[in-house]
Amino acid sequence: MNLMSQHSSFVDPSNPRGNKVSAFLRTYYIYFVLVLVVTVLSVANLDRFDLFERGNFLNQRNIIHILRISAPLLTLAGAFTLLMVSGYIDLSVGSTMSLSAVVYALLAINGVPFFAAFAITLVVGFGLGAFNGFLVVRLKITPVIATLITLSLYKGIALLLVQDGVSAIKSGGGLKMPEWFNFYGREGVLLGLSSAFWVAVVVTLALVIVQNRSLLGKYAAATGGNPMAAKLSGINTKKTIFSLYAVVGVAAALAGIARSSFMSLGDPLSGDGMELSAILVVLLGGTAFSGGEGRVLRSFIGALIIMALTVGMLTLVPAYYQTLVIGTTLLAAAASNHLVSRKESAQ
Amino acid sequence: MTNQPPAAVLAVEGLTKDYPGVRAVDNVSFSIDSSTVHCLVGENGAGKSTLVKMLTGALRPTSGSMMVNGSVYQPNTPHDARECGIATLFQELHVVDELTVLDNLTLGMERSRFGFLIKSDLDDKVVQTLAAIEPSIDPSARVSSLSVAQKQIIEIARAASSGANVIIMDEPTAALSEREVERLFGVIHQLREAAVTVIYISHKLDEILKLGDAVTVLRDGKHIATKPLSDVAGRSELIEMMIGRNLFQDYTPRSTVTDDVVLDAQGLTNKLLKDVSFHINRGEIVGFYGLVGAGKTEIARALFGADKIAGSILFKGRMVGNSPKQAIANGIALVPEERRTQGLFTNLSIRENIPVMNLRRMSDCGVFRASEEQTAAIEYVDKLSIATDSIDKHTEKLSGGNQQKVVLAKCLFSKANLLLLDEPTRGVDVGAKTEIYDIIKTLADEGNSVAVFSSELDEVLGICDRIFLLFAGSLKSEVTNNSDVDIAHILNVVTGGGEGTSQ
Repeated sequence: MNLMSQHSSFVDPSNPRGNKVSAFLRTYYIYFVLVLVVTVLSVANLDRFDLFERGNFLNQRNIIHILRISAPLLTLAGAFTLLMVSGYIDLSVGSTMSLSAVVYALLAINGVPFFAAFAITLVVGFGLGAFNGFLVVRLKITPVIATLITLSLYKGIALLLVQDGVSAIKSGGGLKMPEWFNFYGREGVLLGLSSAFWVAVVVTLALVIVQNRSLLGKYAAATGGNPMAAKLSGINTKKTIFSLYAVVGVAAALAGIARSSFMSLGDPLSGDGMELSAILVVLLGGTAFSGGEGRVLRSFIGALIIMALTVGMLTLVPAYYQTLVIGTTLLAAAASNHLVSRKESAQ
Repeated sequence: MTNQPPAAVLAVEGLTKDYPGVRAVDNVSFSIDSSTVHCLVGENGAGKSTLVKMLTGALRPTSGSMMVNGSVYQPNTPHDARECGIATLFQELHVVDELTVLDNLTLGMERSRFGFLIKSDLDDKVVQTLAAIEPSIDPSARVSSLSVAQKQIIEIARAASSGANVIIMDEPTAALSEREVERLFGVIHQLREAAVTVIYISHKLDEILKLGDAVTVLRDGKHIATKPLSDVAGRSELIEMMIGRNLFQDYTPRSTVTDDVVLDAQGLTNKLLKDVSFHINRGEIVGFYGLVGAGKTEIARALFGADKIAGSILFKGRMVGNSPKQAIANGIALVPEERRTQGLFTNLSIRENIPVMNLRRMSDCGVFRASEEQTAAIEYVDKLSIATDSIDKHTEKLSGGNQQKVVLAKCLFSKANLLLLDEPTRGVDVGAKTEIYDIIKTLADEGNSVAVFSSELDEVLGICDRIFLLFAGSLKSEVTNNSDVDIAHILNVVTGGGEGTSQ
């Protein structure tokens, strides 16, 4: 599904203009898709549904709402991209998110101040990510299996942390969520957008810099592109992979905090399915499943597309069609990518 | 890296490497002068690659020592070797397609502050090195857009700018076009000017005569000679040193060879092959002999229908070559070169492997008769004397020779009349080799035909009735085997030495 990232073996010296066009398309494809999705949703007749202000997808409240609930996915997309660029994967991100959400809510409800709770949760996320890295790098467990193990492990711990008879950490039984708890994920601080959203933007920008300007970013691409060449160049690929898992853990913890704050509770199931969404947006953003290829910023845009589709479709089609429509969209993307790459290799 | 008169940059002394049952490199001593192009030649199995692996730190010698610039050199990894100034260009490319040229050149040598890359004189230095070698490559281009030769130049530039003073090149021209080879030679000359020593390994004797300053010849793991190429009297002397006089050859003409043509191939042509035509008779063992990349595997795969190819292939009067399924149905079986990955199901037992090409033969309406599988397995284990304690042993636990016998059993069970054997004894010990040759001869005596695709001269001379000589995708010549066949002529043809006498 690497939409625009096929090895550019199609560089055809006899047709430099065609090259430029296709290179341009490959680079900016994702932005066109975003514009297309927003346009279609805006033009489509929304009158029949009352979930948003009538007939207008592109209104301020609607956009603020979408960006607010997108914060967790937007936070995660960049880190997940770097991990997939290195050729690895983390299926436990949803559970890491859930566990972080529960830990954060537990700390808050027990009177730990905001910054302390925030920091401790990030440390927990780092630990969870590092443990994934340990399983993969040290114990040499296949990434999919290792992180499937921790998917259920972390979720199990999250469920245990919540008292019997209660579905989530929330106000009640003599404990009360502090006033500040849902400020981070809900209240607009700048342009009406929440702190969580702005944190996602900052994290993404930071990861763009990491990808383009740091050793970690370059080593991730080298490890995913040609592991043998990376090793023969003296790169410590194990350290690279371990670090990337830790980064994903921290990002998942941030995502957990955002969702927990938005929902005002610590739900041990709140991250369920997040791994699929993450893979989806990263692939939609053009990252190669086999590693080596992928851009942080494009995954961010991919996440925006998915969220716009999901929320936008609430206004167009009944809820139970949504998943089908998203699947179809991705199928179309994958198929067109396959056709393009076949044409390229035929040249 | 000085302008002093040549001194030994690298020396090996009594270097020996033992494998179980085989001494791959036997007490080899020689030295290489600084700022020269030193060629390493020898037949397949002469010990070149084992020697190179020891030099690059991929293998540890059993005994003997190596010296670099006068100090003891004991690399444990390729990385160690690089630290000591020895870089290697392996046959496979080790560049990262997804990164830019510049990123590849500095890979693993980056300067950074707090984990972030900083611009340094290194960038300028590698760009200059690259420009000196090949100015047409844009440092900001993505490596995936480059040709194989250009990628190779990236690797050379990386080696040169990492301060390597010895660069080992293992068959660097195998994937290059003629024009690209010229370029590479230019680069090698430049490296020599810059006081870099190049160890050049190739089967192509013309390249060696053209490029080298000195040559080291290995044969059967032993050091035969090291001398300046100016003292070598052309190809013939090189060939003579490579083959010696005691070439193993025990071919005895077989009486069962017939004149019935079973397979007739006309004008096989693809990316590599150029209009290759030949026929194979019933009861005959034919050999296809040539260097790596001469087109042996391509012919084998074409006959089996594994790759699409232009030209016609008639087997017993019927067109074949469209699909492996069709080939098997007509009685053609292929034993691939990579038996572990393409010929065997290593996760399955001997019993389960043998019937795999012809499961229909022991099934009723898709239901499998297990007792028959057992009978067949016992029969073939016995017939081919596969050394195992049980037919349920997983094939990954067998030795190379026994694995090869299981693959042969698989083909025999499919009732094939034409066996295509691609490098049938690669990685097989001497004892099992002889057994496999006996099996091949027995099969031919029974009226089947066998085509052996091999880069080992001993092998084709030992068992084949007729030998096709290949060079660079063309069938250059055909030789009928007999006890006084002209070996020098064969080697001359397959190393590119002019046209052979055509059939």
